[in-house]
Order: sequence, then C-alpha cells, then structure tokens
Amino acid sequence: MEQKWSYLVEEYRAMLYRIAFSNMKNRADAEDAVQEAFLRYMKDEKPIQNKEHEKAWLIRTTIHICLDILKSGWYQRTVPWNESSAIAEKNIYLPYQVRDDETLEAVLQLPVHYRNPIYLFYYEDYSIHEIAVILNEKEGTIKTRLRRGREEVKKILTEGRP
Amino acid sequence: MGIQEVQGQGKTPAYQKKKRTGHGEGFQESLLQNLKNRDQKKQSNTASETEAKQSVADAQMGAKENAEKVGMGRIGAVPGIRVSAAAMQETLQAVEVRHMSYEESDHVRIAVTEGYTLKGKREEGEDARVYVEAKYEDGRVEAYQVDMAKVPEQTTHVIEQFALETMEEA
Repeated sequence: MEQKWSYLVEEYRAMLYRIAFSNMKNRADAEDAVQEAFLRYMKDEKPIQNKEHEKAWLIRTTIHICLDILKSGWYQRTVPWNESSAIAEKNIYLPYQVRDDETLEAVLQLPVHYRNPIYLFYYEDYSIHEIAVILNEKEGTIKTRLRRGREEVKKILTEGRP
Repeated sequence: MGIQEVQGQGKTPAYQKKKRTGHGEGFQESLLQNLKNRDQKKQSNTASETEAKQSVADAQMGAKENAEKVGMGRIGAVPGIRVSAAAMQETLQAVEVRHMSYEESDHVRIAVTEGYTLKGKREEGEDARVYVEAKYEDGRVEAYQVDMAKVPEQTTHVIEQFALETMEEA
C-alpha cells in the first residue's frame, strides 16, 4: 500500500505543484495544496477507473483546493512573508526551460477561468479534450477560453493590464 | 424543393391519381423502370470509380499538399514571413503524429500569443532530420520531418527555424 502511495506522489508531485503554483503564485501555498490533494485521494479511496482518470481527478482536486484557499478569509487577510519571483520559483520543477518569462507572468495574471485552460494547454501540453475532462467543461468552452485568454495575454503584454 | 412542397399541398397524392393499367402496360412500365434504374446504377458506378481514382491521386499528392499547407498555414503565415511552397516540399514532409511529450523533446517553443506550441526532436540515423510536432489553439496537431541538409541557414520559415534551434539544443 505504501509503495502505491509513494509511486503516486513520485508520478504526479511535480506536475501538480506546477498547476498549484500557477494558481497560488507562492511556493509554500502551492505545496500545501498538493499535499492536501494527495491526502484527499488517499483518504477517500475513490473508485478510479484508470490512470487518466486518476490524473484528471488529482488535477481537478488540486485546482479546487487552490481556489478554496484563494477564497478563504484567512488567505485574503494575509500576505506572503517572503515572496520571491514567481518564475524563479516555478522553474524549479519544469521539465523544459521557459524562455519567455514575460508571457508566463502574463498568463499567471489571467482570471482563473482563462488561466487554468491556457496553463494546461500550453505549459503542461494537455489536449483540449483532456482539459475539458479535467475541468469538467465542454470542449467548445475550452476552445473559447483559450482564444479569449490569448487575447487577454496580448492585452497584458501590450497594455500591462488584464 | 420548398416550392414543390408548397405547390403540392391540398392536391390529390400521385399514387391515388395513377390510372389502373392492364397486364401488358404494367409489364412495359416495369421494363422501362428497370432500364432507367440500370442506367442510374451505371452512372453512380462511374461516379464512384472516378471518386476512388481521385482519392488515390489525393493520397499520392498528400505529402506534397501537406508541405504546401505548411507554407500557407498559420505558422507560415505569421506576419512578415512569406514562404515558397515549392521550397517547403523539399525540406518538410508531413508525417504521422507521435504525441511526443515535452520531456521527450529536445526543444520546446510555447507561443501563447500566436496560439501554438512546437516540440522538436532530432531523429536518430545518418541523415540529419528533425521531427517537429505543432499543436494549435483549435486542437489540431500536425507533425513534420525536416530534412536539415536542405534547410538554408538564414531561413525565415518558423518550422525550419525551430528545427535549426532543435539541432543546436540536441
């Protein structure tokens, strides 16, 4: 059993951390969110159909935990104690080098309904179908969000605001 | 079709107006109908043969057309970049998508503002070739094999440029 959990953590830790970081923009909070997602998975013993389902469940849960933390009164009343550059933190686990940090910073500034599809599509290389399953949305909705999100990124880069 | 339907409303249906015929007339009618049906069948067979020939020709032209598409497609059509489709035929070849991950790639380009990502990997073998996979915002995924021996160093084509970068990274 322990072997199963350690495999699970090894397999998904880095990816979930990146997704949590894109939402939290803070290393400590991102790690908390990922830990919480693993704990929920282990506690709940969900009837998981296959590996893809397992991955989708973990990503979805991580995103929900992040959104819950961001909405919480405690989070809104506090500020990070020692915030370093978001990109410098984020690159720790990335499997490739992001050269265009400015664009990634702009993506991280997007509203959550654009940020997650854009992040999963471009930086985690998921297909539109996979993102639709993970975020529990229709494929058409994801396509629209990708297109509108891209326009928002352009606005941030040219005008400096979303 | 719409007009016919409107005009036909309220009239007696054709089958009710049909005159009852004798045995000989019936035979003649059915013979004529059979001949008509056979002619129609022949025509449709000829049409499907032509279609099949066309699809074989299309398949043969597939790689050529795909290469041309690259020149005329979204990436090739990035502002300021004009690509000769004829030149592309020699350097790029459309191949089957392998769904390579970022980890497996030698080089990755994420172009959020242009709406695409590129993944490149140097192919093993004697010839210098690079496999490039392009994913677009609308969900399309296309793959090409770039013959590096034919790519000019000062190329302005996005995929060729990316293939050159991949060679450097690999």
